[in-house]
Amino acid sequence: MFLSKTTRKGTAATAVAAMMAIAPTLGAASPLGTDPIRLVIPFGPGGGSDITARVLAATAPEFCGPRIDVVSMSGAAGLEAVNFVRNATPNGHTLLVTDYGPIVTSGYVDDVDWSHDDWQPVMNFTEWLPVVYTRPDHAIQTIEDWVAAAEANPDTITFGHASPLGLVHLPLILFEMETGLRNVHVPTSGGGETRSLVMGGHIDLGMTLPPSIASEVASGELTALGVFSQERSPILPDTPTFVESGYDVVLPAWLMIFATSDVPAETVAFLQDCFMEALASPTAVAMSNRVNAGIEPLNAADSTALYQATVASIGGILRDIGEID
Amino acid sequence: MFVESFVAALYLAFSPEVILYVAIGVMMGITLGAIPGLSGDMAIAILLPIVFFLEPAAALGLLTGIYKGGMFGGSISAISFGVPGTPGSAATAIDGYQAKLKGYPNKALNTALYSSVIGDTTSDFVLIFLALPLAIVALTFGPVEFFALYAFSLLLISALTKGKVAKGVAMAALGILLAMIGRDPIGGSIRLTFGIPELAGGLALIPVLVGIFAVSELIIQLGRAWMERARKIVDDTRRQAESLLGDYDSSKDKLTFREFRATWRATSIGTTMGTLIGALPGAGSSLAAFISYGLAQRFSRRGDEFGKGSLEGVAAAEAGNSATSGSTLIPLFAFGIPGSATAALFGAAFILMGMTPGPRLIYDHTEVIYALFLILIYANLINLALSHFLLPLYSKIAMIQSRILLPIVCVLAILGTFAAGNSVIDVWVLLFAGLLGVVLRLYNFPLAPLILGFIVAPGAERALRQSLLIGRGEWTHLLSSPIAIGLYATAAIMIITFTFVLRERK
Repeated sequence: MFLSKTTRKGTAATAVAAMMAIAPTLGAASPLGTDPIRLVIPFGPGGGSDITARVLAATAPEFCGPRIDVVSMSGAAGLEAVNFVRNATPNGHTLLVTDYGPIVTSGYVDDVDWSHDDWQPVMNFTEWLPVVYTRPDHAIQTIEDWVAAAEANPDTITFGHASPLGLVHLPLILFEMETGLRNVHVPTSGGGETRSLVMGGHIDLGMTLPPSIASEVASGELTALGVFSQERSPILPDTPTFVESGYDVVLPAWLMIFATSDVPAETVAFLQDCFMEALASPTAVAMSNRVNAGIEPLNAADSTALYQATVASIGGILRDIGEID
Repeated sequence: MFVESFVAALYLAFSPEVILYVAIGVMMGITLGAIPGLSGDMAIAILLPIVFFLEPAAALGLLTGIYKGGMFGGSISAISFGVPGTPGSAATAIDGYQAKLKGYPNKALNTALYSSVIGDTTSDFVLIFLALPLAIVALTFGPVEFFALYAFSLLLISALTKGKVAKGVAMAALGILLAMIGRDPIGGSIRLTFGIPELAGGLALIPVLVGIFAVSELIIQLGRAWMERARKIVDDTRRQAESLLGDYDSSKDKLTFREFRATWRATSIGTTMGTLIGALPGAGSSLAAFISYGLAQRFSRRGDEFGKGSLEGVAAAEAGNSATSGSTLIPLFAFGIPGSATAALFGAAFILMGMTPGPRLIYDHTEVIYALFLILIYANLINLALSHFLLPLYSKIAMIQSRILLPIVCVLAILGTFAAGNSVIDVWVLLFAGLLGVVLRLYNFPLAPLILGFIVAPGAERALRQSLLIGRGEWTHLLSSPIAIGLYATAAIMIITFTFVLRERK
């Protein structure tokens, strides 16, 4: 059904032809059988993780063999999804798609019966670069303005961010550790609330991920101050990084697919190959561009290095602020 | 330019394919909304990938149909079984179920349908013509104003039942306490879970709602059936109900125009409040329904009948929740801010179609958005037509004897609850909430304040603590906004006046 509909829309006729040629041979070689693969996300539907996972679910069946379902389990602040994957049969059919919050941070601060070594990355979708923004009529318009204002009046600048110790809060903590500046941290229910508080003039600054404000920044309705990454965000090419301003604060947030470490290595290798192949297909590239997902896949080995680096750096931050010993 | 786009949009919106998708959506929405635990939002989330395969107008038509059908469908189980099918219809259950117990499910269902459609259509026109001004007003609502709004709604609902104000306030407090289980929204630490890790995310709304209303009802009915059986052993002359429907006479249960006109004031209050509250990011349809219900009771000439099967109560609640459906998209269209779960799902649908939600949306994709506006309006008519045809059937289902009906409803509720979060914990929460509901009913505590307390507590707590953070811990900061002062003053005046008026009547 998917094939015929895609062809009808004429988006990727050649890709479909190529897929049809590959599919039968792969089907025979697939160690996964015909049971569906479940991509479990620890968040509610409709967010960036959900949308990105759906691009893979729509394109990978031709390459991997079985159908792929995206299952959303936001219960127990995401830990329910993590535990569900942890307790599933380790055959590669139940995978976790998450950013570092529910797996790295939770592994440190929450009472869980697994450790960071119980997980192995299969593939990384993308790296999201946390960005600080405000409204265009605010006195603070650059990183330097912010630093100057916070130095002149510590504990006065209100800064909105989603859940405490999450992806768009830890970079702020790291920045304050680096500079010694102090701001008033105002947790919100998420990116939408942060944005309405910033736009309505209730708070000074906010942090989010670039795709959600790209069009407002382009049209001048919001100002992006800076990005917490080594290089500029391709979605916000005119926004400087904090590194450019002389603050070595880099904390990108990845979106990775995990299997438990007891899934056989050949299964993980097969999944990595067919996922990467699927995401390189013209259909997937077209979809990724259309939804602004910025998918740049990393293989299992590179993802593992990235995962271990994040485990180390987040552990360092949490120790420094006294969250863990 | 405008005329051309409009004509193109007409072709898009009224193509047979799109009309068919809207109708399928409405049908699905009504059915899913009517099953306790399942909601239109869930179906939209599951069907989201369909936008990869359908033309934008058809996909938006399907999602819109599901949304509108689901909004109304929730009231079917609220009225028929006393079990709100969706959180938004919790307020409808108060009077709707009483009306059914009196033998008038059809009147109540029709009132719900017409007031829903009126509220919804008005709200859609407001979205189309007043989106930007209303969105700017909505942005002036920050933590200080939101806390005042939540406090206002809690006072209004707690003081709903005459002579039971203390019990009402106690129930609201219990609801707030239950909502505080889980992760502290500001500090991030875990609280009130008594070491049970599964409670770290807090209690989910759907199992609490369905448990308190549905499971407790089942347990009580079960107890009553056993009592009757025991009595029957002693006295065998008990009259057997002859048909499946007992002695329900459908010919006496028709809503007249005069009866519906009498709910006009309640419907207008619901429509106005629903549209305004729907436009506030994060406030939600259940809050709109409860506030509308509370205000309609205060301003009704027959306020005493509220809670005893008043059609005005049904109309206010249903107009209130349905009137959020158009205006909830306002922050999304004006600023790209998703103001509710539904708006977030529509936002995701736009993104999956390559359209970025925000003020540019209508300029960059004029035809599709005009078509969506047309669909929003005519989906209401399809909802009206389909439901009109189906309601006599639903009324009959409502009157099936409860010993047959309730077990079925409960099985559906347990399945629906599990499906909503894929979580076994939710099923346990459902059963415990059911036991709590039994105890509260036995001691005559009102359930509505508990549910409202549970629904608004997370937002209210966050708003209060954000206000205090922004105000550097000064409580006077809560009075720093004219909107907040206005809300507190209105609440105070209303409570004083109505206490006074009610006392005089005695």
